[in-house]
Amino acid sequence: MAMRAEEILCLFPEESRDRWQEVAKRAKRLQEIRLRAGMPISILVDNREYFVDMPGRIVDMPEKAAKPSPEELEGMLGHLCRYSIYAFADEIRQGFLTVRGGHRVGLAGQVILDGEGRIKNMKYIRYLNIRIAHQIRGAADGLMPRLFEEGRVMSTLLISPPGGGKTTMLRDIIRQVSDGTVYGRGVNVSVVDERSEIAGSYLGVAQNDVGIRTDVLDGCPKVEGMMRLIRSMAPQVLAVDEIGSLADAQALQMAGGCGCKLLATIHGGSMEEVRQKNYMRYMIEQRLFERYVMLDRRQGVCRIAGIYDGEGKPCTGR
Amino acid sequence: MYRAIGFLCILAGCAGWGHSLAGQERERVRHLRALSRMLSRMRSEISYGKHTMPEICLLLAESSDGCYSICFGSIYGRTAGEGSADFPKVWEEEMEKCLEPLPLREDERRTMMELAKSLCFREEIGQAGRVGQAEEFLEGRYRQAEETFENRSKMIHSVSILTGLLLAILLL
Repeated sequence: MAMRAEEILCLFPEESRDRWQEVAKRAKRLQEIRLRAGMPISILVDNREYFVDMPGRIVDMPEKAAKPSPEELEGMLGHLCRYSIYAFADEIRQGFLTVRGGHRVGLAGQVILDGEGRIKNMKYIRYLNIRIAHQIRGAADGLMPRLFEEGRVMSTLLISPPGGGKTTMLRDIIRQVSDGTVYGRGVNVSVVDERSEIAGSYLGVAQNDVGIRTDVLDGCPKVEGMMRLIRSMAPQVLAVDEIGSLADAQALQMAGGCGCKLLATIHGGSMEEVRQKNYMRYMIEQRLFERYVMLDRRQGVCRIAGIYDGEGKPCTGR
Repeated sequence: MYRAIGFLCILAGCAGWGHSLAGQERERVRHLRALSRMLSRMRSEISYGKHTMPEICLLLAESSDGCYSICFGSIYGRTAGEGSADFPKVWEEEMEKCLEPLPLREDERRTMMELAKSLCFREEIGQAGRVGQAEEFLEGRYRQAEETFENRSKMIHSVSILTGLLLAILLL
C-alpha cells in the first residue's frame, strides 16, 4: 500500500482502521474527511462530496452513512494527540492540530475561556475536519525563472484568493530556493510557520519538503518570529504566510532592512483589490518587494495570473 | 562425623532459605524505589518537557535498565511508530509482562498497570497530578517497606536459623 494511504489509516485508532481502508485507497485525490458527532461521515474527493457507511464503503447518500459518536471522536482526538492531549494544548487552543504527514485536523467544540476572556482550552470536541496535505513538487517551476535576478532571488509577494494555491506555491518556492536551482545557488531560508501550514511540522519536524537549508519556527506569531529568526538563524531569505496587518508589514520592513530577501503571501482577488489595504500600500511605498505575483485557480489547477514589479506595474518578459 | 555434616547441611539450607526470603524483600524495596523514581521523572517530563507519553516512555527506556528498559522501549516501539496502537492497552500489556515476575504486591502492580487508563487530561497540571498520585502511593509503600525491611530481615534470618536448629535436633 502506498505511503500516503498508510498515513491516512494511521490517523484513526487501531480498532477502526478497517472502516477506512476504502477511503485510504483514494488517498491521492482525497482532500478532506469530516467527522461530526451524530452526523454522517463525509469525505471530499476531487472537490466532490461522498459519505462513508458503517462497513467503510463510499456512498453518495448521507442517509446510508455512518455517524460517529462523541466517544469515538474523543478516542480519535486522544489517538491523534498520541494519548497526550496536554502536550497539544496550545494547538487545540488555536483550533487545529498538525499530525504526522503534515495533515491538519481542524477542531471545534466548546471553548473554555480564562478570567480575561481569552481562549484557554477546548472541551467537548465534536467536530473534526481532517485536511489531507498534498505537497506539489514543481508547483513553482513556471515561476522560478521570473523570481531570480543575476543568481539572486528577489523579494516576492504571492497574492491570491483563499484556496488559490498561495501556500502550495510558497512552499515550493522555499524548497527550490533552499535546495538551489539552475537560476541561483541554494541559500539559507528561515520560515515563520505561524499556523504550521507551510512546513506542516509534527513534533517539531517538517513533514513537507521545504529544502535542505531551511529552518522552521513553528507555531510562532509572525512579528515576533521574524525578528527572532533574523537574530538567531541569520537567514538570507525569510518566508512567511498570510500577511494580514500593518504590524506584519512593518516587521517585514525590518527584516528587509537587515538584508534578508522576503517571500510572503497575502489574500486578494486582484492587484487593485489588495492596493486598498493600508498595509499593502505601505509595502508598495516602502518597496519591500521586487515582485508581486497574482495567482488564481482554474478547474482545480493553480496558475499565474500576472506578475508585477516593485512599483506594482505589470512586468513583461523575464 | 556424618551427623555433624548433616547438621551443618540442614542449618545451611535453612539459613539459605531465610536469606532468599530476605532477598525477596530487598528486591521489593528496590523495585518500589525504581518505580517511584520513574513516575517522578514522568511527572517532570509532563510538567516541564511537555513530551507526549510515548516520548516519555522512550526517555525512561534510555535512563532505566533491566526489565524496565525493555518494557518502556517496547511501549514506545508499539505506540510511536507508523500504525501506532492504543496507548493504554499497550501500556497495560507491557507492564503486566514486566511486573509479573517481580516481588510486588497486587495493588502495587495494579497501580502501575492501570495508570495509563486514567491519563487523558487536557492540560499538563492534571496529567502530572494523576501521575503524582500513583507516585505518592508507591513512594509511601517504598518508605514503609524500607523501614520494616531491616527488622524483618533480622527476624527472617533468626527464624530460619532457629528452624534449621530445630530440624537438625529433631532429625538427628
